[in-house]
Amino acid sequence: MQKPVINGNRISIPSTQEYLPDVDIFIEGILRGYGINESIIADIAISVSELVNNAIDHGNKKNEEKRVTVTIEKNSEAVSLIVTDEGGGFNPNELADPLAEENLLKEVGRGIFIVRSLMDNVDIAPSENGTKVTFTRALK
Amino acid sequence: MKLSDRIENGIVIMEPKGKIMGGPDATLLHDKLHEYLENEHRQIVIDLSKVEWMNSTGLGILISGYTSLKNHNGALKLANVTDKIQSLLTITKLITVFDTYDSVEDAIASFSN
Repeated sequence: MQKPVINGNRISIPSTQEYLPDVDIFIEGILRGYGINESIIADIAISVSELVNNAIDHGNKKNEEKRVTVTIEKNSEAVSLIVTDEGGGFNPNELADPLAEENLLKEVGRGIFIVRSLMDNVDIAPSENGTKVTFTRALK
Repeated sequence: MKLSDRIENGIVIMEPKGKIMGGPDATLLHDKLHEYLENEHRQIVIDLSKVEWMNSTGLGILISGYTSLKNHNGALKLANVTDKIQSLLTITKLITVFDTYDSVEDAIASFSN
């Protein structure tokens, strides 16, 4: 199992939560380098943590031979991120509504909902070779 | 995330510090909560003043503590909820579930009411 690998604006980790802090330090470091305000940095960091957790648990099913990769880019108007896994994909339309009364006290099932709430565009592209989630956050 | 905890007049005050994002650190908060529960402590305050942010894993731990304590006729109360966490509680509607207080002292006092 290779440990976290950083290559430019990309970090790749084995599928274990042990490396979540490495991803967070990497992403927040890049965002601070971009000069982005702390509130937006926190929103993006929360979203990345949700998607990396999902990729580890539901995508790669904690198979440490499979990796989760996060890529970050910025233009003058927005920050864009891509989180990919190497799992079998999942159908985002099958996610339960976490705001429904019967789900309100469930301990899990809010991750994607939170990402959709905090980010401006979220595209989930499942495939047999893994799921690719692309999301952006406007800078203003 | 780091965690400190103390007992004041029989009420447990837990003070996590940093980010609650999942992994071993988050397990620490969950396990400590349930350890207090198993040791017959039924009134717990979580002081969130030093939590930079949390994700759904953190919310799940709070819900676990809330429901477990409620099922044992106890209560979990939140103090010093930061703007970022308040926002998460609002968008997830969990603000309707948790009792939140502006200070640990207010949260402790609420157990006497």
